[in-house]
Amino acid sequence: MKTLVANIEDVLREAAARWILITYFLLSTIFLFIFASAVNLDIINGTLAGARLFGKDVQMSGNEIPIEKLVLGFESGFSFVLYLLCTGLSIFATAHLVPRMQEKGTIDLYLARPVSRVKLLLSRYVAGLVLAGSNILYLVGTVWLIVIWKTHVVHPRFFLGGVLILFVIATLLAFAFVVGVVTSSTAVSIMTSFGLFIFSAMLVAHDRIAAAVSHDWEAWLINGLYWVVPKTAELGAAVVTFVSGNKVPERLADTLGPQTFWTTAVFTVACLALASWLFQRKEF
Amino acid sequence: MALDGIDLSVQPGELFGLLGPNGAGKTTTVKILLGLTRPTAGEAFIEGIPVSNPESRRSVGYLPEGHKIPNYLTARQALSIFGRMSGLESDVIKKRSVELLEALSIAQWIDVRVKKFSKGMTQRLGLAIALIHSPKVLLLDEPTDGVDPVGRREIRDLLREEAKRGAAVLLNSHLLSEMELTCDRVAVLRNGKVAAEGSVEALTRRTAKYKVAATALDDALLTQFGAERVNGHVELPIEDLEKLNAFVDQIRARGGLVSELAPLRSTLEDVFVDLVRA
Repeated sequence: MKTLVANIEDVLREAAARWILITYFLLSTIFLFIFASAVNLDIINGTLAGARLFGKDVQMSGNEIPIEKLVLGFESGFSFVLYLLCTGLSIFATAHLVPRMQEKGTIDLYLARPVSRVKLLLSRYVAGLVLAGSNILYLVGTVWLIVIWKTHVVHPRFFLGGVLILFVIATLLAFAFVVGVVTSSTAVSIMTSFGLFIFSAMLVAHDRIAAAVSHDWEAWLINGLYWVVPKTAELGAAVVTFVSGNKVPERLADTLGPQTFWTTAVFTVACLALASWLFQRKEF
Repeated sequence: MALDGIDLSVQPGELFGLLGPNGAGKTTTVKILLGLTRPTAGEAFIEGIPVSNPESRRSVGYLPEGHKIPNYLTARQALSIFGRMSGLESDVIKKRSVELLEALSIAQWIDVRVKKFSKGMTQRLGLAIALIHSPKVLLLDEPTDGVDPVGRREIRDLLREEAKRGAAVLLNSHLLSEMELTCDRVAVLRNGKVAAEGSVEALTRRTAKYKVAATALDDALLTQFGAERVNGHVELPIEDLEKLNAFVDQIRARGGLVSELAPLRSTLEDVFVDLVRA
Protein backbone atom coordinates (compact mmCIF):
# COMPACT_ATOMS: atom_id res chain seq x y z
CA MET A 1 0.00 0.00 0.00
CA LYS A 2 2.85 2.39 0.84
CA THR A 3 4.38 1.72 -2.57
CA LEU A 4 1.06 2.53 -4.25
CA VAL A 5 0.61 5.74 -2.25
CA ALA A 6 4.23 6.75 -3.01
CA ASN A 7 3.69 6.17 -6.73
CA ILE A 8 0.40 8.07 -6.80
CA GLU A 9 2.10 10.98 -5.02
CA ASP A 10 5.03 10.80 -7.45
CA VAL A 11 2.82 10.71 -10.56
CA LEU A 12 0.51 13.52 -9.42
CA ARG A 13 3.41 15.71 -8.32
CA GLU A 14 5.13 15.19 -11.67
CA ALA A 15 1.91 15.96 -13.51
CA ALA A 16 1.51 19.16 -11.49
CA ALA A 17 5.14 20.25 -11.81
CA ARG A 18 5.35 19.59 -15.54
CA TRP A 19 2.13 21.46 -16.32
CA ILE A 20 0.48 18.23 -17.42
CA LEU A 21 -2.16 18.43 -14.71
CA ILE A 22 -2.70 22.15 -15.23
CA THR A 23 -2.97 21.79 -19.03
CA TYR A 24 -5.19 18.76 -18.57
CA PHE A 25 -7.62 20.66 -16.37
CA LEU A 26 -7.25 23.96 -18.22
CA LEU A 27 -8.33 22.40 -21.53
CA SER A 28 -11.19 20.68 -19.75
CA THR A 29 -12.22 23.97 -18.10
CA ILE A 30 -12.16 25.86 -21.41
CA PHE A 31 -14.39 23.17 -22.85
CA LEU A 32 -16.73 23.37 -19.86
CA PHE A 33 -16.84 27.16 -19.97
CA ILE A 34 -17.81 27.19 -23.65
CA PHE A 35 -20.40 24.54 -22.98
CA ALA A 36 -21.91 26.34 -19.96
CA SER A 37 -22.12 29.70 -21.68
CA ALA A 38 -23.28 28.41 -25.07
CA VAL A 39 -26.41 26.64 -23.96
CA ASN A 40 -29.35 28.64 -22.64
CA LEU A 41 -32.65 26.88 -22.17
CA ASP A 42 -36.10 28.25 -21.43
CA ILE A 43 -37.97 25.58 -19.53
CA ILE A 44 -41.63 26.00 -18.64
CA ASN A 45 -43.49 23.33 -16.68
CA GLY A 46 -40.95 20.61 -17.49
CA THR A 47 -40.91 21.26 -21.21
CA LEU A 48 -38.53 23.21 -23.37
CA ALA A 49 -40.26 26.30 -24.58
CA GLY A 50 -37.22 27.97 -26.10
CA ALA A 51 -33.48 27.57 -26.46
CA ARG A 52 -30.46 29.62 -27.45
CA LEU A 53 -27.30 27.96 -28.70
CA PHE A 54 -24.15 30.09 -29.08
CA GLY A 55 -26.37 33.17 -28.83
CA LYS A 56 -28.75 32.10 -31.60
CA ASP A 57 -32.41 31.20 -31.08
CA VAL A 58 -33.25 27.61 -31.83
CA GLN A 59 -36.52 27.29 -33.80
CA MET A 60 -38.96 25.19 -31.77
CA SER A 61 -41.68 25.30 -34.51
CA GLY A 62 -44.30 25.72 -31.85
CA ASN A 63 -43.51 22.30 -30.39
CA GLU A 64 -42.88 21.81 -26.72
CA ILE A 65 -40.19 19.21 -26.14
CA PRO A 66 -40.17 17.33 -22.80
CA ILE A 67 -36.99 18.41 -21.11
CA GLU A 68 -36.24 14.87 -19.85
CA LYS A 69 -36.13 13.66 -23.42
CA LEU A 70 -34.02 16.56 -24.54
CA VAL A 71 -31.47 16.05 -21.74
CA LEU A 72 -31.27 12.35 -22.48
CA GLY A 73 -30.67 13.00 -26.16
CA PHE A 74 -28.11 15.68 -25.46
CA GLU A 75 -26.22 13.65 -22.84
CA SER A 76 -26.16 10.54 -25.04
CA GLY A 77 -24.62 12.42 -27.95
CA PHE A 78 -22.33 14.44 -25.75
CA SER A 79 -21.00 11.36 -23.96
CA PHE A 80 -19.30 10.28 -27.20
CA VAL A 81 -17.55 13.66 -27.46
CA LEU A 82 -16.36 13.25 -23.88
CA TYR A 83 -15.25 9.68 -24.63
CA LEU A 84 -12.93 10.94 -27.38
CA LEU A 85 -11.77 13.97 -25.40
CA CYS A 86 -10.99 12.09 -22.18
CA THR A 87 -9.24 9.24 -24.00
CA GLY A 88 -7.10 11.57 -26.10
CA LEU A 89 -6.09 13.77 -23.18
CA SER A 90 -5.26 10.78 -20.99
CA ILE A 91 -2.90 9.30 -23.61
CA PHE A 92 -0.90 12.53 -23.64
CA ALA A 93 -0.98 12.83 -19.86
CA THR A 94 0.20 9.32 -19.01
CA ALA A 95 2.40 8.06 -21.86
CA HIS A 96 5.60 9.26 -20.14
CA LEU A 97 5.09 7.29 -16.93
CA VAL A 98 7.28 4.29 -17.80
CA PRO A 99 9.86 5.99 -20.07
CA ARG A 100 10.62 8.64 -17.42
CA MET A 101 10.94 6.02 -14.69
CA GLN A 102 13.30 3.96 -16.84
CA GLU A 103 15.73 6.83 -17.43
CA LYS A 104 19.32 6.01 -16.55
CA GLY A 105 20.09 7.22 -13.05
CA THR A 106 16.41 7.33 -12.05
CA ILE A 107 15.44 3.68 -12.39
CA ASP A 108 18.22 2.67 -9.96
CA LEU A 109 16.64 4.82 -7.26
CA TYR A 110 13.30 3.02 -7.66
CA LEU A 111 14.67 -0.49 -8.03
CA ALA A 112 16.96 -0.12 -5.01
CA ARG A 113 13.86 -0.19 -2.79
CA PRO A 114 12.47 -3.42 -1.28
CA VAL A 115 9.68 -3.54 -3.85
CA SER A 116 9.32 -6.15 -6.58
CA ARG A 117 9.47 -4.84 -10.13
CA VAL A 118 5.97 -6.09 -10.89
CA LYS A 119 4.56 -4.26 -7.87
CA LEU A 120 6.43 -1.10 -8.85
CA LEU A 121 5.10 -1.21 -12.41
CA LEU A 122 1.52 -2.00 -11.41
CA SER A 123 1.56 0.73 -8.76
CA ARG A 124 2.62 3.17 -11.43
CA TYR A 125 -0.18 1.87 -13.66
CA VAL A 126 -2.77 2.47 -10.95
CA ALA A 127 -1.26 5.92 -10.36
CA GLY A 128 -1.74 6.67 -14.07
CA LEU A 129 -5.37 5.58 -13.83
CA VAL A 130 -5.87 7.86 -10.81
CA LEU A 131 -4.54 10.77 -12.89
CA ALA A 132 -6.78 9.94 -15.88
CA GLY A 133 -9.73 9.17 -13.58
CA SER A 134 -9.43 12.52 -11.84
CA ASN A 135 -9.78 14.26 -15.22
CA ILE A 136 -12.81 12.15 -16.16
CA LEU A 137 -14.36 12.95 -12.81
CA TYR A 138 -13.77 16.65 -13.40
CA LEU A 139 -14.88 16.76 -17.02
CA VAL A 140 -17.86 14.40 -16.95
CA GLY A 141 -18.87 15.39 -13.42
CA THR A 142 -18.86 19.10 -14.22
CA VAL A 143 -20.80 18.69 -17.49
CA TRP A 144 -23.29 16.63 -15.53
CA LEU A 145 -23.61 19.34 -12.85
CA ILE A 146 -23.98 22.07 -15.49
CA VAL A 147 -26.81 20.10 -17.11
CA ILE A 148 -28.47 19.69 -13.70
CA TRP A 149 -28.03 23.41 -13.03
CA LYS A 150 -29.50 24.43 -16.39
CA THR A 151 -32.32 21.88 -16.63
CA HIS A 152 -32.88 20.53 -13.09
CA VAL A 153 -32.84 17.05 -14.62
CA VAL A 154 -30.69 14.53 -12.72
CA HIS A 155 -29.58 11.68 -14.92
CA PRO A 156 -26.95 9.53 -13.14
CA ARG A 157 -26.24 7.33 -16.18
CA PHE A 158 -24.35 10.18 -17.80
CA PHE A 159 -22.05 10.46 -14.80
CA LEU A 160 -21.62 6.68 -14.51
CA GLY A 161 -20.70 6.53 -18.21
CA GLY A 162 -17.32 7.85 -17.04
CA VAL A 163 -16.52 4.37 -15.71
CA LEU A 164 -16.75 2.97 -19.25
CA ILE A 165 -14.45 5.72 -20.50
CA LEU A 166 -11.98 4.82 -17.75
CA PHE A 167 -12.17 1.17 -18.87
CA VAL A 168 -10.96 2.13 -22.35
CA ILE A 169 -8.24 4.37 -20.92
CA ALA A 170 -7.10 1.47 -18.73
CA THR A 171 -6.66 -0.62 -21.86
CA LEU A 172 -4.73 2.01 -23.78
CA LEU A 173 -2.56 2.73 -20.72
CA ALA A 174 -1.71 -0.97 -20.39
CA PHE A 175 -0.65 -0.99 -24.04
CA ALA A 176 1.40 2.21 -23.52
CA PHE A 177 3.15 0.46 -20.62
CA VAL A 178 4.27 -2.41 -22.87
CA VAL A 179 5.58 0.06 -25.45
CA GLY A 180 7.19 2.17 -22.71
CA VAL A 181 9.00 -0.79 -21.15
CA VAL A 182 10.35 -1.91 -24.53
CA THR A 183 11.26 1.44 -26.11
CA SER A 184 11.64 3.84 -23.13
CA SER A 185 10.19 6.48 -25.45
CA THR A 186 7.28 8.77 -24.60
CA ALA A 187 6.79 9.81 -28.22
CA VAL A 188 6.54 6.20 -29.41
CA SER A 189 4.12 5.41 -26.57
CA ILE A 190 1.84 8.28 -27.61
CA MET A 191 1.98 7.44 -31.33
CA THR A 192 1.33 3.74 -30.88
CA SER A 193 -1.50 4.29 -28.38
CA PHE A 194 -3.29 6.62 -30.79
CA GLY A 195 -2.49 4.18 -33.60
CA LEU A 196 -4.08 1.34 -31.66
CA PHE A 197 -7.15 3.44 -30.88
CA ILE A 198 -7.71 4.35 -34.54
CA PHE A 199 -6.71 0.98 -35.99
CA SER A 200 -8.97 -1.00 -33.67
CA ALA A 201 -11.85 1.41 -34.42
CA MET A 202 -11.38 0.70 -38.14
CA LEU A 203 -11.65 -3.02 -37.46
CA VAL A 204 -15.30 -2.59 -36.49
CA ALA A 205 -15.81 -3.10 -40.24
CA HIS A 206 -13.64 -6.23 -40.25
CA ASP A 207 -16.30 -8.30 -42.04
CA ARG A 208 -16.46 -5.90 -44.96
CA ILE A 209 -12.69 -5.44 -45.08
CA ALA A 210 -12.12 -9.20 -44.98
CA ALA A 211 -14.61 -9.69 -47.80
CA ALA A 212 -12.78 -7.14 -49.92
CA VAL A 213 -9.25 -8.58 -49.63
CA SER A 214 -7.90 -10.93 -52.28
CA HIS A 215 -6.31 -13.70 -50.16
CA ASP A 216 -7.78 -15.97 -47.51
CA TRP A 217 -4.86 -15.42 -45.17
CA GLU A 218 -5.44 -11.65 -45.29
CA ALA A 219 -9.08 -12.14 -44.37
CA TRP A 220 -8.07 -14.53 -41.60
CA LEU A 221 -5.52 -11.99 -40.32
CA ILE A 222 -8.04 -9.14 -40.28
CA ASN A 223 -10.68 -11.22 -38.53
CA GLY A 224 -8.06 -12.52 -36.09
CA LEU A 225 -6.80 -9.04 -35.29
CA TYR A 226 -10.33 -7.90 -34.65
CA TRP A 227 -10.64 -10.41 -31.84
CA VAL A 228 -7.24 -9.55 -30.37
CA VAL A 229 -7.30 -5.75 -30.22
CA PRO A 230 -9.56 -3.69 -27.93
CA LYS A 231 -12.91 -2.68 -29.38
CA THR A 232 -12.59 1.09 -29.20
CA ALA A 233 -15.41 1.91 -31.64
CA GLU A 234 -17.83 -0.49 -30.01
CA LEU A 235 -16.95 0.79 -26.57
CA GLY A 236 -17.61 4.35 -27.72
CA ALA A 237 -21.03 3.15 -28.86
CA ALA A 238 -21.43 1.32 -25.57
CA VAL A 239 -20.92 4.59 -23.68
CA VAL A 240 -23.65 6.28 -25.75
CA THR A 241 -26.00 3.32 -25.40
CA PHE A 242 -25.44 3.11 -21.66
CA VAL A 243 -26.08 6.83 -21.16
CA SER A 244 -29.23 6.80 -23.31
CA GLY A 245 -30.53 3.68 -21.59
CA ASN A 246 -31.79 2.42 -24.95
CA LYS A 247 -31.33 -0.99 -26.48
CA VAL A 248 -28.27 -1.56 -28.65
CA PRO A 249 -28.99 -0.08 -32.10
CA GLU A 250 -29.63 -2.72 -34.77
CA ARG A 251 -26.61 -1.70 -36.84
CA LEU A 252 -24.39 -2.48 -33.82
CA ALA A 253 -26.25 -5.56 -32.61
CA ASP A 254 -23.70 -7.93 -34.15
CA THR A 255 -20.62 -6.24 -32.79
CA LEU A 256 -21.65 -4.76 -29.46
CA GLY A 257 -22.15 -7.44 -26.85
CA PRO A 258 -20.42 -9.06 -23.89
CA GLN A 259 -17.53 -10.10 -26.15
CA THR A 260 -16.74 -6.38 -26.62
CA PHE A 261 -15.95 -6.12 -22.94
CA TRP A 262 -14.26 -9.42 -22.24
CA THR A 263 -11.98 -9.35 -25.29
CA THR A 264 -10.91 -5.82 -24.36
CA ALA A 265 -10.40 -6.87 -20.74
CA VAL A 266 -8.31 -9.85 -21.89
CA PHE A 267 -6.22 -7.51 -24.05
CA THR A 268 -5.66 -5.23 -21.04
CA VAL A 269 -4.64 -8.05 -18.72
CA ALA A 270 -2.37 -9.53 -21.42
CA CYS A 271 -0.67 -6.16 -21.94
CA LEU A 272 -0.13 -5.74 -18.20
CA ALA A 273 1.23 -9.28 -17.89
CA LEU A 274 3.57 -8.74 -20.86
CA ALA A 275 4.75 -5.37 -19.54
CA SER A 276 5.40 -6.91 -16.11
CA TRP A 277 7.27 -9.87 -17.60
CA LEU A 278 9.44 -7.65 -19.79
CA PHE A 279 10.12 -5.21 -16.96
CA GLN A 280 11.01 -8.09 -14.64
CA ARG A 281 13.55 -9.43 -17.14
CA LYS A 282 15.00 -6.09 -18.21
CA GLU A 283 18.61 -5.39 -17.26
CA PHE A 284 19.47 -1.85 -16.18
CA MET B 1 32.58 -11.26 -18.98
CA ALA B 2 32.38 -8.30 -16.54
CA LEU B 3 33.03 -10.40 -13.42
CA ASP B 4 34.91 -13.64 -13.06
CA GLY B 5 34.37 -15.38 -9.76
CA ILE B 6 34.88 -12.60 -7.26
CA ASP B 7 34.36 -13.37 -3.59
CA LEU B 8 34.08 -10.38 -1.28
CA SER B 9 32.54 -9.81 2.09
CA VAL B 10 31.98 -6.54 3.94
CA GLN B 11 31.47 -6.73 7.68
CA PRO B 12 29.13 -4.60 9.83
CA GLY B 13 30.88 -1.43 10.92
CA GLU B 14 33.37 -1.63 8.08
CA LEU B 15 34.08 0.93 5.35
CA PHE B 16 35.12 -1.08 2.31
CA GLY B 17 36.40 0.42 -0.93
CA LEU B 18 36.06 -1.16 -4.34
CA LEU B 19 38.68 0.09 -6.77
CA GLY B 20 39.45 -0.69 -10.34
CA PRO B 21 40.00 0.81 -13.77
CA ASN B 22 37.08 1.52 -16.08
CA GLY B 23 35.41 -1.72 -17.09
CA ALA B 24 36.91 -3.69 -14.21
CA GLY B 25 33.46 -4.73 -12.99
CA LYS B 26 32.87 -2.40 -10.01
CA THR B 27 29.47 -1.13 -11.15
CA THR B 28 28.46 -4.61 -12.31
CA THR B 29 29.23 -5.92 -8.81
CA VAL B 30 26.96 -3.33 -7.23
CA LYS B 31 24.23 -3.86 -9.83
CA ILE B 32 24.23 -7.59 -9.16
CA LEU B 33 23.90 -6.90 -5.44
CA LEU B 34 20.84 -4.76 -6.16
CA GLY B 35 19.25 -7.15 -8.63
CA LEU B 36 19.56 -4.55 -11.39
CA THR B 37 21.43 -7.10 -13.45
CA ARG B 38 21.64 -10.87 -13.15
CA PRO B 39 24.83 -12.91 -12.83
CA THR B 40 25.37 -15.54 -15.53
CA ALA B 41 26.55 -17.88 -12.77
CA GLY B 42 26.94 -17.78 -9.01
CA GLU B 43 24.93 -16.15 -6.27
CA ALA B 44 24.98 -13.00 -4.20
CA PHE B 45 23.42 -12.55 -0.79
CA ILE B 46 22.72 -9.57 1.43
CA GLU B 47 22.25 -10.49 5.08
CA GLY B 48 21.74 -14.06 3.97
CA ILE B 49 18.88 -13.21 1.59
CA PRO B 50 19.45 -13.92 -2.12
CA VAL B 51 19.55 -10.67 -4.08
CA SER B 52 16.83 -11.94 -6.41
CA ASN B 53 14.42 -11.45 -3.48
CA PRO B 54 13.34 -7.77 -3.19
CA GLU B 55 13.38 -8.20 0.60
CA SER B 56 17.19 -8.29 0.42
CA ARG B 57 17.04 -4.58 -0.42
CA ARG B 58 15.12 -3.66 2.72
CA SER B 59 18.44 -3.31 4.53
CA VAL B 60 20.27 -1.68 1.61
CA GLY B 61 20.87 2.00 0.90
CA TYR B 62 22.12 2.75 -2.60
CA LEU B 63 23.56 5.85 -4.18
CA PRO B 64 24.05 5.28 -7.91
CA GLU B 65 26.66 7.13 -9.91
CA GLY B 66 25.13 9.94 -11.96
CA HIS B 67 21.78 9.49 -10.25
CA LYS B 68 18.83 11.57 -11.40
CA ILE B 69 16.44 12.33 -8.59
CA PRO B 70 13.13 13.39 -10.20
CA ASN B 71 13.74 17.14 -10.45
CA TYR B 72 10.10 18.11 -10.04
CA LEU B 73 10.26 17.02 -6.40
CA THR B 74 11.52 19.02 -3.44
CA ALA B 75 14.05 17.40 -1.11
CA ARG B 76 11.27 16.73 1.40
CA GLN B 77 9.02 15.14 -1.23
CA ALA B 78 11.83 12.98 -2.64
CA LEU B 79 12.69 11.70 0.84
CA SER B 80 9.00 11.09 1.52
CA ILE B 81 8.42 9.08 -1.68
CA PHE B 82 11.55 6.95 -1.45
CA GLY B 83 11.18 6.58 2.32
CA ARG B 84 7.65 5.30 1.88
CA MET B 85 8.81 2.88 -0.80
CA SER B 86 11.27 1.59 1.79
CA GLY B 87 8.36 0.87 4.12
CA LEU B 88 8.77 3.79 6.52
CA GLU B 89 5.91 5.55 8.30
CA SER B 90 5.31 9.26 7.63
CA ASP B 91 6.39 10.45 11.08
CA VAL B 92 9.67 8.51 10.86
CA ILE B 93 10.33 9.96 7.40
CA LYS B 94 9.72 13.52 8.64
CA LYS B 95 12.09 13.14 11.59
CA ARG B 96 14.79 11.32 9.65
CA SER B 97 14.62 13.77 6.70
CA VAL B 98 15.42 16.75 8.91
CA GLU B 99 18.22 14.86 10.70
CA LEU B 100 19.90 13.78 7.47
CA LEU B 101 19.59 17.09 5.65
CA GLU B 102 21.04 18.86 8.69
CA ALA B 103 23.95 16.42 8.84
CA LEU B 104 24.57 17.05 5.15
CA SER B 105 24.18 20.85 5.52
CA ILE B 106 21.26 21.22 3.10
CA ALA B 107 18.44 21.50 5.64
CA GLN B 108 17.61 25.03 4.44
CA TRP B 109 16.87 23.59 0.98
CA ILE B 110 14.31 21.07 2.20
CA ASP B 111 11.38 22.69 0.37
CA VAL B 112 13.26 23.66 -2.79
CA ARG B 113 12.82 21.67 -5.98
CA VAL B 114 15.75 19.45 -6.95
CA LYS B 115 16.06 21.20 -10.33
CA LYS B 116 17.45 24.23 -8.48
CA PHE B 117 20.12 22.17 -6.69
CA SER B 118 23.82 22.30 -7.61
CA LYS B 119 25.57 19.03 -8.41
CA GLY B 120 27.05 18.82 -4.93
CA MET B 121 23.68 19.43 -3.30
CA THR B 122 22.03 16.79 -5.49
CA GLN B 123 24.77 14.39 -4.45
CA ARG B 124 24.10 15.10 -0.78
CA LEU B 125 20.37 14.62 -1.28
CA GLY B 126 21.08 11.32 -3.06
CA LEU B 127 23.04 10.23 -0.03
CA ALA B 128 20.15 11.26 2.24
CA ILE B 129 17.78 9.15 0.11
CA ALA B 130 20.15 6.20 0.44
CA LEU B 131 20.24 6.66 4.22
CA ILE B 132 16.57 7.51 4.88
CA HIS B 133 15.69 4.03 6.17
CA SER B 134 18.87 3.62 8.28
CA PRO B 135 20.14 0.72 6.15
CA LYS B 136 22.48 -1.95 7.45
CA VAL B 137 24.29 -2.09 4.12
CA LEU B 138 25.32 0.97 2.14
CA LEU B 139 26.37 0.74 -1.50
CA LEU B 140 27.71 4.08 -2.64
CA ASP B 141 28.92 4.81 -6.15
CA GLU B 142 31.15 7.91 -6.25
CA PRO B 143 29.52 9.48 -3.17
CA THR B 144 31.67 12.63 -3.20
CA ASP B 145 31.45 13.27 -6.94
CA GLY B 146 31.00 17.01 -7.50
CA VAL B 147 31.10 17.82 -3.79
CA ASP B 148 33.37 20.61 -2.48
CA PRO B 149 36.15 19.78 0.04
CA VAL B 150 34.08 20.82 3.07
CA GLY B 151 31.19 18.73 1.83
CA ARG B 152 33.50 15.77 1.25
CA ARG B 153 34.65 15.92 4.83
CA GLU B 154 31.02 16.08 6.01
CA ILE B 155 30.17 13.06 3.90
CA ARG B 156 33.22 11.20 5.24
CA ASP B 157 32.17 12.00 8.79
CA LEU B 158 28.62 10.88 8.08
CA LEU B 159 29.83 7.58 6.60
CA ARG B 160 32.02 6.99 9.66
CA GLU B 161 28.97 7.62 11.85
CA GLU B 162 27.00 5.11 9.80
CA ALA B 163 29.81 2.56 10.17
CA LYS B 164 29.90 3.22 13.93
CA ARG B 165 26.15 2.56 13.99
CA GLY B 166 27.00 -0.85 12.55
CA ALA B 167 26.38 -0.35 8.84
CA ALA B 168 28.53 -2.20 6.31
CA VAL B 169 29.61 0.44 3.78
CA LEU B 170 30.83 -0.42 0.29
CA LEU B 171 32.30 2.54 -1.57
CA ASN B 172 32.97 2.57 -5.26
CA SER B 173 35.11 5.49 -6.38
CA HIS B 174 37.88 6.69 -8.63
CA LEU B 175 38.95 9.28 -6.06
CA LEU B 176 41.72 7.19 -4.52
CA SER B 177 42.78 9.86 -2.04
CA GLU B 178 39.18 9.89 -0.76
CA MET B 179 39.16 6.12 -0.51
CA GLU B 180 42.44 6.19 1.37
CA LEU B 181 41.04 8.68 3.85
CA THR B 182 37.69 6.91 4.27
CA CYS B 183 38.09 3.15 3.94
CA ASP B 184 39.27 0.54 6.41
CA ARG B 185 39.75 -2.07 3.71
CA VAL B 186 39.86 -2.03 -0.06
CA ALA B 187 39.82 -4.47 -2.95
CA VAL B 188 41.21 -3.74 -6.38
CA LEU B 189 39.34 -5.31 -9.28
CA ARG B 190 41.09 -6.02 -12.55
CA ASN B 191 39.52 -7.79 -15.51
CA GLY B 192 36.63 -8.89 -13.33
CA LYS B 193 38.85 -10.49 -10.68
CA VAL B 194 40.11 -9.36 -7.30
CA ALA B 195 43.74 -8.38 -7.91
CA ALA B 196 44.41 -7.29 -4.32
CA GLU B 197 42.47 -7.02 -1.10
CA GLY B 198 43.40 -5.86 2.37
CA SER B 199 43.46 -2.99 4.80
CA VAL B 200 44.58 0.36 3.42
CA GLU B 201 47.46 0.28 5.90
CA ALA B 202 48.63 -3.15 4.74
CA LEU B 203 48.37 -2.35 1.05
CA THR B 204 50.24 0.94 1.36
CA ARG B 205 53.05 -0.43 3.63
CA ARG B 206 55.11 -1.78 0.83
CA THR B 207 58.06 0.59 0.43
CA ALA B 208 61.20 0.00 2.42
CA LYS B 209 62.25 3.61 2.35
CA TYR B 210 62.65 6.34 4.92
CA LYS B 211 62.30 10.04 4.41
CA VAL B 212 65.21 11.90 6.02
CA ALA B 213 65.60 15.64 6.43
CA ALA B 214 68.88 16.74 7.99
CA THR B 215 71.84 19.07 7.63
CA ALA B 216 75.31 17.83 6.58
CA LEU B 217 73.94 15.46 3.98
CA ASP B 218 76.73 15.37 1.43
CA ASP B 219 76.77 13.49 -1.84
CA ALA B 220 79.45 11.07 -0.66
CA LEU B 221 77.23 9.96 2.24
CA LEU B 222 74.21 9.60 -0.01
CA THR B 223 76.19 7.52 -2.52
CA GLN B 224 77.57 5.35 0.28
CA PHE B 225 74.06 4.48 1.50
CA GLY B 226 72.34 4.49 -1.92
CA ALA B 227 70.09 7.40 -0.90
CA GLU B 228 68.77 10.04 -3.29
CA ARG B 229 67.40 13.53 -3.09
CA VAL B 230 63.67 13.89 -3.86
CA ASN B 231 61.75 17.17 -3.57
CA GLY B 232 64.03 18.74 -0.97
CA HIS B 233 64.43 15.69 1.24
CA VAL B 234 66.35 12.45 1.06
CA GLU B 235 64.88 9.01 0.51
CA LEU B 236 66.89 6.22 2.03
CA PRO B 237 66.25 2.61 1.03
CA ILE B 238 66.80 0.30 3.99
CA GLU B 239 67.00 -3.44 4.33
CA ASP B 240 67.03 -3.30 8.13
CA LEU B 241 67.06 -0.84 10.99
CA GLU B 242 70.85 -1.22 11.39
CA LYS B 243 71.33 0.63 8.11
CA LEU B 244 68.97 3.40 9.17
CA ASN B 245 70.80 3.88 12.46
CA ALA B 246 74.19 3.76 10.75
CA PHE B 247 73.01 6.52 8.38
CA VAL B 248 71.89 8.69 11.32
CA ASP B 249 75.23 8.01 13.10
CA GLN B 250 77.09 9.26 10.03
CA ILE B 251 75.04 12.45 9.91
CA ARG B 252 75.70 13.05 13.62
CA ALA B 253 79.40 12.28 13.15
CA ARG B 254 79.49 15.01 10.47
CA GLY B 255 77.96 17.45 12.98
CA GLY B 256 74.57 17.37 11.23
CA LEU B 257 71.14 17.63 12.85
CA VAL B 258 68.24 15.37 11.91
CA SER B 259 64.96 17.33 11.66
CA GLU B 260 62.74 14.60 10.20
CA LEU B 261 62.89 10.84 9.99
CA ALA B 262 59.79 8.98 8.81
CA PRO B 263 58.98 5.73 7.01
CA LEU B 264 57.70 6.31 3.50
CA ARG B 265 54.46 4.65 2.45
CA SER B 266 53.27 4.16 -1.06
CA THR B 267 49.93 5.86 -1.70
CA LEU B 268 46.85 3.92 -2.66
CA GLU B 269 47.28 5.46 -6.08
CA ASP B 270 50.77 3.91 -6.36
CA VAL B 271 49.38 0.53 -5.38
CA PHE B 272 46.46 0.91 -7.78
CA VAL B 273 48.63 1.95 -10.73
CA ASP B 274 51.14 -0.86 -10.07
CA LEU B 275 48.35 -3.46 -9.91
CA VAL B 276 46.56 -2.21 -12.99
CA ARG B 277 49.76 -2.05 -15.02
CA ALA B 278 50.94 -5.46 -13.87
